Amino acid sequence: MKQNYRVLGVCFVAISAFFASGSPAMASKPEPDLELGKKAFLDTCARCHGPDGKAEVPFAKRFYPRPRNLTSGVFKFRSTVSGTPPTDDDLFRTVEQGLHGSNMPDWKFLPPETRWQIVNYVKTLSPIFQDSQPEPIQTAADPGAHADKTKGRQVYEQLGCASCHGNQGRANGTSAAGLVDDWGMPVRPANLTQGWNYRGGSAPKDIMTRLLAGIDGAGMPSYTGAVTPEDAWHLAYYVQSLQEPAHWNPIADGAYINGALPSKPDDARWNSVQATDLQLRHALEPDGSWKDAPTVNLVRVQVAYNDSEIAVRLSWDDPTEDASAEAADRASLVLRPEGVNGDIVGLQVWPYQGAPELNLCTWTAGGTLSGEIVAKSFEPSVLENNPKATLSASAAYQKDGRWELVLQRPMKQSSVPGSAALEPGRLVPIAVVIWDGAVPEARAVSPWLDVRLGSVSP
Amino acid sequence: MNHLRLFSPALLAVVVAIGCAGSKPQDASAEADKAAAPAAEQPAAPVTSAPGAQGSGSVTGMVKFEGTAPVQAKVKMNADPICQQQHADPVLAEEVVVNSNNTLKNVFVYVKEGVNGSYPAPTEPVVLAQRGCWYSPHVFGIQVGQPLQIVNDDATLHNVNSKSKGKTNKPFNIAQPSKDMKTEKKFSEVEVLVPFKCNVHPWMHAFAGVVSNPFYAVTDESGNFTIKGLPAGTYTIEAVQEKYGPQTQQVTIGDGESKTAEFTFKAE
Repeated sequence: MKQNYRVLGVCFVAISAFFASGSPAMASKPEPDLELGKKAFLDTCARCHGPDGKAEVPFAKRFYPRPRNLTSGVFKFRSTVSGTPPTDDDLFRTVEQGLHGSNMPDWKFLPPETRWQIVNYVKTLSPIFQDSQPEPIQTAADPGAHADKTKGRQVYEQLGCASCHGNQGRANGTSAAGLVDDWGMPVRPANLTQGWNYRGGSAPKDIMTRLLAGIDGAGMPSYTGAVTPEDAWHLAYYVQSLQEPAHWNPIADGAYINGALPSKPDDARWNSVQATDLQLRHALEPDGSWKDAPTVNLVRVQVAYNDSEIAVRLSWDDPTEDASAEAADRASLVLRPEGVNGDIVGLQVWPYQGAPELNLCTWTAGGTLSGEIVAKSFEPSVLENNPKATLSASAAYQKDGRWELVLQRPMKQSSVPGSAALEPGRLVPIAVVIWDGAVPEARAVSPWLDVRLGSVSP
Repeated sequence: MNHLRLFSPALLAVVVAIGCAGSKPQDASAEADKAAAPAAEQPAAPVTSAPGAQGSGSVTGMVKFEGTAPVQAKVKMNADPICQQQHADPVLAEEVVVNSNNTLKNVFVYVKEGVNGSYPAPTEPVVLAQRGCWYSPHVFGIQVGQPLQIVNDDATLHNVNSKSKGKTNKPFNIAQPSKDMKTEKKFSEVEVLVPFKCNVHPWMHAFAGVVSNPFYAVTDESGNFTIKGLPAGTYTIEAVQEKYGPQTQQVTIGDGESKTAEFTFKAE
């Protein structure tokens, strides 16, 4: 009897050890249950990807990039050779973590079992999983602290990355405009300074994997065979060093400055003013679609004020400096006119029927059409044809694809009736709209940001 | 009534005769089914895997064009100075190239049906070059299993983005960042036409006609093509133009005979 218990005990320990030591994927990957997977897919994925996976739902057209047609057999984020399907782990990772910066959210709230069943079901949507096998890319060990970023920079130049990604990674390479994906939709190369926006993740391992596997469907080719797996790591660490951390402050702090405000973007005093980043979204047409892929993804906002004026410094990446009268780069600081504070105004669809007017402080490159008005739309003609207040603006375009701008206006702008009257002790909602003159149909709008001017009285 | 009468020798002979005679019509209808079955797109696989015969017959002809020739767009290469500096004159897009004698260049012509037996893939590679930020040749034929050598002749980054739609032909998108870089690929099934493009230089386009035998050609600056080495037989010849699509014709040739086939594509 005792011997049996001992044997049982040993078996129990052995089995536990087996489950504990297995990789998380192996330990929890359940047997395929397509019925469960299909139900989970229809409940959660179908709203964007369509019940048949073809992403032909009416509102898919409002997303940039579009939701994936899962029946096409083309998958962007894989750890496999270009043209071969993703591994199960690749698919699970996308479902679990989402695709940063896109509309594919993470599905961490779903239990792992459900996520695996969704993966199993997605694999039934395209014949590529029967016709072809995932072929893992060949990789080297992570050099970690021994990564050579100088070598990485050399590799960046040798591989021609700058032709799309730009010399400093700001997506302003000479071939950046005019890229189309496999579905004929305009697509932009990644702005490598925006780590938060790398769909497949921003760690060196993720970057290395994208480089060697390519992003099928999107135009980023696989560099397997063109670079050694070791050099791919050095390049990945170099690219990571280009990333500029984003500051996602839910409320921004304006800095009180005694005396004259820093009116130029390169004024050193801006270095001690808190920066807040706002992710920009493409504006939508009345039918819910977008006209062109946006080139501007992010704007960095800093606010300084004194007793009589407020200065807002804006900084954003724009691949080209456009300053001609027909198509110029433009930025608008958007404020709430008096009495509009309670309304929720979605800038992605403004102006819409019944929308309130907005207080626009607009600057245009090349010196034309700048000023402050309260208006019903962004149309330049409104600014042109109506009385406006002069706006103090100072702008500089850095030659590696970045605009820096300071707009300055009185706290209370008496010459524009109905305009925002700002005072310390309140939360001031502001928003930013950016136009890239090279792509005039793709204005990029921010969400509203509350700025705290001094301590806020209850 | 004796049961044995059912098995009279005469009846038996008739039954046997019907059985034997019946096989030929069945075979013929099976072949007809096979030829008709594939949707207009892809040619049928060879009927047997016995080595295909080499004949001395040929099909020659030309591909004509009717109507106003579309204007060939001028290609702007200012996205890449290394491309631009290789061309003193503007380069013209090759989607529709109408020759001076009103024929079409770059039409892929091949024997779609009627070829029996298998033809081993040549080991000699077909070379697709990227030179002056342009694919050369623009349209080419290659056999299943024959190596395709893709070469970068430019000192600039090209990526080779090939969009196969077959079951086993894999699409791929590979980078060739440096001059003289070569990549070898092979196709595993028939596919006409496989498009190639470069994302870095979006004006670059090429097309591969992947077939299972050596009986193909691409029309030249006079719109002419010649397909040689055909054994006697009845063949379906298909001509495919990248914009206007396919057209087919039937040709029957005897041993050593040369026949002509003419195709006409109309302006849209």
